[in-house]
Amino acid sequence: MRKGLILILACVTGGPLVAHSWTYRAGTSGTLQQVIGKATAGDTIIVDGTVSEGSIHVDRSLVLLGGTDAVIDGGGKNDALRITADDVTVKGFTIRGSRRSNLDDMAGIKVNECRGVVISDNFVDQCFFAIYLSGAKDALIEGNTVLGEPGDEDHMANGIHLWKCSNATIRNNRIEYHRDGIYFEFVTDSHIIGNTSLHNLRYGLHFMFSHRDAYEDNHFEDNGAGVAVMFSKEIAMRRNHFVANRGASAYGLLLKEINDGEIIGNTFQDNTTGIMIDGCNRINVHDNEFRLNGWALRLFANAIDCDFRGNTFAGNTFDVSTNGSLIPNTMNGNYWDRYAGYDLDRDGYGDVPHRPLGFFTLLVEMQPYAMVFSRSLFVSLLDRAERLIPSLTPESMKDDRPLMRPPASLKKGTDHVEEKQDAPAGKVTANEGSSGGVLWLLVGVAFLSSIRYLFPHG
Amino acid sequence: MLKVFKYTLIDLARNRFVLGYALLMLLVAQGLFALEGDPTKALLSLVQVVMALVPLIALVFTVVYMYDTIEFTQLLAVQPMTRSAILGGQLLALATALLLAQAVGLGLPLLVHSPTMAALVLSLSGSVLVLVFAALGALIALKQREKARGVGVALAIWFLFVLVYDALLMWAMFTLSDYPIEPFVVPLAGINPIDLARIMVMLQVDLAAMMGYSGAIYKNFFGSVGGTVVAALILLLWIAIPVLLAFRVFKRKDL
Repeated sequence: MRKGLILILACVTGGPLVAHSWTYRAGTSGTLQQVIGKATAGDTIIVDGTVSEGSIHVDRSLVLLGGTDAVIDGGGKNDALRITADDVTVKGFTIRGSRRSNLDDMAGIKVNECRGVVISDNFVDQCFFAIYLSGAKDALIEGNTVLGEPGDEDHMANGIHLWKCSNATIRNNRIEYHRDGIYFEFVTDSHIIGNTSLHNLRYGLHFMFSHRDAYEDNHFEDNGAGVAVMFSKEIAMRRNHFVANRGASAYGLLLKEINDGEIIGNTFQDNTTGIMIDGCNRINVHDNEFRLNGWALRLFANAIDCDFRGNTFAGNTFDVSTNGSLIPNTMNGNYWDRYAGYDLDRDGYGDVPHRPLGFFTLLVEMQPYAMVFSRSLFVSLLDRAERLIPSLTPESMKDDRPLMRPPASLKKGTDHVEEKQDAPAGKVTANEGSSGGVLWLLVGVAFLSSIRYLFPHG
Repeated sequence: MLKVFKYTLIDLARNRFVLGYALLMLLVAQGLFALEGDPTKALLSLVQVVMALVPLIALVFTVVYMYDTIEFTQLLAVQPMTRSAILGGQLLALATALLLAQAVGLGLPLLVHSPTMAALVLSLSGSVLVLVFAALGALIALKQREKARGVGVALAIWFLFVLVYDALLMWAMFTLSDYPIEPFVVPLAGINPIDLARIMVMLQVDLAAMMGYSGAIYKNFFGSVGGTVVAALILLLWIAIPVLLAFRVFKRKDL
């Protein structure tokens, strides 16, 4: 009686207790698809060798583990691997040979309408879309390397592509040479953490109509633009690195029609434009570091209630530019290396406001060819005059409490900053004002000495 | 010519101005690097100093030196040697002395504090500017008999290249901004040796901005191999033409 009950219980609780583990070696009798057909939900299939039997379809909850040299080669027919069941795990494979088609969106791994898929530690080699999720919930994509094929935009697709998903986690992947590294459309409540996205044709990471997502500790380098966030709400962007995204329309971070975002603790370096803010409301831009960018910040006049504080602006060609005179945003307590003011009460904040929008910035905005005068004596004279008597630059574009030194919170940032922090306090506060002064002093001395030299007995 | 070169160089080595120039540049460069803490930032400030100060000093010093050694030149002129040899030796010595001073004053601190491509381009363009303005200075000194006038012309020329030219060009750019001025801005910016030297440096330090829309035409031209060759040729012409003219003037001049 008792034995019978246990048996019944075992049957009722089902899967896990009777789960099989299958090992499939490519080239032996049967196909992987047949093995999948024989397996029941909850089974594990370990695959060795190269499977090249065309598109593989996983239609039940299975764990697919890549054994030795496990390759799934779609042979250029449709998707290499298609998943349409809940709780599928695909781990440790090399995946290649998806069909290239803009019409059918073919992918290395395609996931359709399911829950809890785990895709980890795979190498997706030159597929059209690499990993494509549509209508997936609670997905985990972790530790994959995704390598596309350099080409033109029409023949490339996205690395990790999510469409209408929610609660997804994308962690520690590496994506190169795709159109967009990671693409989110209608994706909510998801996290993108610790990924590296390089050399992508368009964006390293691209959000469209996606809300309440966060991306943290990612690295975006040498993409058409680092990250584009468009038409999305409540996106958190923290501690990412945006490096060397260069070109006429290249941005470290492009924000278009974003509401209630936060951009905290990121590093923007060597980008043509660090952040471009177009039509955004209530964005908090705090504690970021902008170094050696062409334009650190392009803030369009249609951005409202954005708050900038605790940021470091150093070595940029232009710190801030805008296209209008109305600035309904606030700037407070940032560090500007161009700040030429003083701090008499020694509270760490400059006593006179800093106007980050230089005259020359406006000139270049009006006449792009004027860029050629960058760092010329004439322009530095004009800039100096404009700072003393502002006439063209918008009155409200100013930081009332500019920091005298880069914020200490950046100590754990990049190497450059650490070096800076190690330097004695007095040294770091030196800025363009002092070097400009030195320059003029020298010109004066040179003049005087040349006159003295000219008339030695005079 | 080698003898003239040798004795002029010995005389220049005793000259306090050359030593002072080297020390001044050393002080400025060293001071900026010590003051800024961030080598990139210091380099940017140094760019401005070099682009304004180096032409001024090279110009004024050459002019004044040429006037001050006029008696020595007259003495040389009665010796059995060609006038080309005299002037050649003198100019070579001047260039050598100024370049050495520059190497010590600018090259050394750059090498120590920021051995980057930008620093290399900066010291190279600085050296070329020294040569250009020394050549111009020599021409002015030979053309003008009067010392005060010569120095005046030198200062005016410095002012023209460092400030007035840029101001005029910018004014023209804004006035004519409704017209397709694109074909003209690159050559016009490239004519002025100071602007040209600055652009070469800028392509290193402001690279991120130059990749943008506004810098693109400059980057596309001066950033390419062909553009660099053209720029080098223009600067070479800026040295060669004044030097050749100076020789012409000197040969016919009644000392």
